[in-house]
Amino acid sequence: MQTPKFQGTHLFDRLCWAKENLDGVQSDYRVVYEDSIDECAKILVPDPNWMACALQGGILPPVWVYWELAKDEAQPDFKKHTRGYLLHETEPMPAMTEEEAIEYLIQKDVPQHVWQNWDEGNRPKMVICRKEQLPQTREWRNAWRISDDLELAA
Amino acid sequence: MAGKIVADTLEHSTAGSIATNYVVEGSAKVWTTFNGQSATITTTDSFNESSLTDTGTGRYAVNFTNNMGNTGYAITGALGSSDASYGAGWFNTGNAHSSFGHTVSNTTSSHRISQAHAVTSGNIDYTDVHSVVHGDLA
Repeated sequence: MQTPKFQGTHLFDRLCWAKENLDGVQSDYRVVYEDSIDECAKILVPDPNWMACALQGGILPPVWVYWELAKDEAQPDFKKHTRGYLLHETEPMPAMTEEEAIEYLIQKDVPQHVWQNWDEGNRPKMVICRKEQLPQTREWRNAWRISDDLELAA
Repeated sequence: MAGKIVADTLEHSTAGSIATNYVVEGSAKVWTTFNGQSATITTTDSFNESSLTDTGTGRYAVNFTNNMGNTGYAITGALGSSDASYGAGWFNTGNAHSSFGHTVSNTTSSHRISQAHAVTSGNIDYTDVHSVVHGDLA
């Protein structure tokens, strides 16, 4: 199905179109990351409807738009967004592969200080894996950490 | 977008009229249902969610695709389990508070959920977690 020409259409309206016309895609990818030494590992799970939008193309804004909004929100006098138009008026992203979508999602929903420095330090702070590689029960969930003896893929 | 209708008021033939901003302002902007007890949590269905973050036992973050306009949005939640031993639970959501297991506040791009057993107060994973957000979009 062809995506309508959406640039300038409110992002929420685009999501309504996607919900009506696209089937959700359950990704097997998971992103495990540690953003504090005092907390257990966190696991990012892609949303199936969002993944369908990413694979379809022409719906989601470029990820830098979210960074701009986050910068605005970090200002001490922030009350409300005044640059929401960036979400709606910036040319949408073309279709992504599932792997590209995961990279985009990391840059959107994982804290920047994690993904920008994921391999600095004594061991990786972030790992992309398949859900089968995670523990199969949630026992001791609050003690989960990224293993020290990971074999990193090139 | 094709089929666009611009109107400030909707009028029923007998039941009166309603301003369309009631519809725009009153509609849910984000909703999600997910299983928080499966080994890796899984969204059952959703709208305007980009991802979930599993941050620990009974603790999650819902990440939005279309940001909210400010952090003053309202969150409604419910939780349940087919296991009777789970009993009643608390659905906490909001800003950083260590007793809720949150160390990060809600933002315009995500909100936190923390579930606790009503008797023991310990964080616990429920099979059915529901969250709805009302407010203004960015």
